[in-house]
Amino acid sequence: MAIVRGADRAELALARAGEEMRGTARARYLRRWLPIGIGIFLAVAMIVVAAAAPLLAPMSPSAQFSGAVLKAPGAVERHLLGTDEFGRDLLSRIIRGARVSLQVGLASVIFGFALGVPLGIVAGFRGGRSETLIMRCTDMLMAFPTLLLALIIVTALGGSLINEILAIGVALTPNFVRLARGLALTIREQDYILAARALGGGQLRVMAGHVFPNALYALVVVAPRYIATPIRTEAGLSFLGLGIPPPTPSWGNILSEGRQYIKCCPWLTTFSGLAIMVAVLAFNLVGDALRDLLDPRLRGE
Amino acid sequence: MFQYVLRRLLIAVPMLLGAMSIVFFAMRVLPGDPCVAMMGDQATSEALADCTRNLGLSRPLAVQYVDYLWRSIRLDFGNSFRQGYPVSEYIARMFPHTFVLVMASAIVAALVGIPIGILSALHRRNPLVDYPLRIIALLGLSMPVFWLGILLLIVFSLRLDLFPLIGGGDLDGVIGMIRSGEVFSHPGDFFAGVGDVLHHLTLPALALGFTLAATVSRLSRSAMLEIISQDYIRTARAKGQGERAVVYKHALRNMMVPLLTIIGIFVAIALTGTVLTETVFTRPGLGKMLVDAIGARDYPVAQGAITVFTMIIILVNLVVDMLYAVVDPRVAYR
Repeated sequence: MAIVRGADRAELALARAGEEMRGTARARYLRRWLPIGIGIFLAVAMIVVAAAAPLLAPMSPSAQFSGAVLKAPGAVERHLLGTDEFGRDLLSRIIRGARVSLQVGLASVIFGFALGVPLGIVAGFRGGRSETLIMRCTDMLMAFPTLLLALIIVTALGGSLINEILAIGVALTPNFVRLARGLALTIREQDYILAARALGGGQLRVMAGHVFPNALYALVVVAPRYIATPIRTEAGLSFLGLGIPPPTPSWGNILSEGRQYIKCCPWLTTFSGLAIMVAVLAFNLVGDALRDLLDPRLRGE
Repeated sequence: MFQYVLRRLLIAVPMLLGAMSIVFFAMRVLPGDPCVAMMGDQATSEALADCTRNLGLSRPLAVQYVDYLWRSIRLDFGNSFRQGYPVSEYIARMFPHTFVLVMASAIVAALVGIPIGILSALHRRNPLVDYPLRIIALLGLSMPVFWLGILLLIVFSLRLDLFPLIGGGDLDGVIGMIRSGEVFSHPGDFFAGVGDVLHHLTLPALALGFTLAATVSRLSRSAMLEIISQDYIRTARAKGQGERAVVYKHALRNMMVPLLTIIGIFVAIALTGTVLTETVFTRPGLGKMLVDAIGARDYPVAQGAITVFTMIIILVNLVVDMLYAVVDPRVAYR
């Protein structure tokens, strides 16, 4: 009984302390903006690193230093994060790898957006048989987890940057179809759509000229949420050896090559994996923040 | 009820058909001749023609398609191109390994994820509880399973030497003992075998389980939040029931429906997770088999593995939908 009392008391104390923390305006401000700030900072940092990779990397990612093979971080002064089995500088390779991750991340979201949004708008605006057809196909694609679908497509086409983007982009498409359809369903009931129709605007014209621009804002705000998925999927594909072929460094294939050396040289896998996690974390944070801004009801879910 | 089950079954059939069509057409219609891919550019034209004939690729596409569907339903995926044995046999041998991995990681994910989700829903206004839990969930969501796996291997296998570095243990032996009844005649050997399998299973299950726990905690958190705001919870509180009784008797019981949803989503993600997990831990299983087959360009094996993955995902969702009707009879009348 005494133990139960003690537990209750501890819970009460915890609740009180939490109440105090929650109460102050500053705490509330921090609670709201700190995760967003961290996410935006990391995401922008990654974009800068990827864009300026050749300038930032201390040396060429493919330069082989035969005198410094598999050196630990800091063992040789100029190799801050150490070197791999060919004596290539790990830091330079990770910096260059940011490019692949970001390219796949952005391009596959754009691809999914470009393919999914028109389909979603047609489905939502027109309804009827075209809606049934589009949504059934969407449900079917939804049944496949992203990585599995990407595996199927990459198996058929072979691994390369373009194929990865294509594969992951297709896997992302159902998300955009659903979003766009939901928006189109609301927009279609608006008076300005009625007005546009009354003025003699054809379906295509109304969809492209009125529904799409009005849905665009919400769609663009939500889109960054989906960047985290392709970055992680790309890393997974590269890790399995089905992504970008080896001479080009990507975080996944650095990690995969480093796997053979985990006994002696764990830094190869540790740092490349850390890069993947930070990138995914950054876009997850940004995505959550954007969703909260757009729909305060879902905050913190 | 019967109508509901029938309707749901009728939806699952075209789903399965559609998904399998995607697999088939992705493999066949997309550019790239499987024979050229398997045998390389240097293959003689006779060898290529031979391969094409063996795989039945010279027949009209429609015939191949129907043949593929018909054979897949009977779980006949042809013979491995490399080794020659039937793909279905290989799949049957690999399936138990993947099955135990998914089950073990489900246990880890449930033990970690569900309490975190419920706690963070109940204490969502308390930053001292909410913050750490949200950070854990976010890290789990962002951490690739293959990286976590390698970190675990570095620490627990290489540094501390507590767990094996590769392999899946003698699961076949254990299953064989159950089949032959040796469980009863040699219980000692049996438990040693089970122990060995669990020993090999621990790290993979932890890695996959932790990364999935984040998803589970998110789903159970929103499920709990929804339930907490229901009228019957308010009624229970208004009756003067203690907070514990409200949570255990009313809230948790009604979590069965969302929990089923979680299981459905979970199986889909966990199955793809096994592809990466089995590769990191060099464990036998369907995922590793798929990756190896793609690497070796063994199309029949790859296609068989992907088809089985798809079938499992759709079937699990079908079963989950059926269970909805059992747990919550209202579902059937909607």
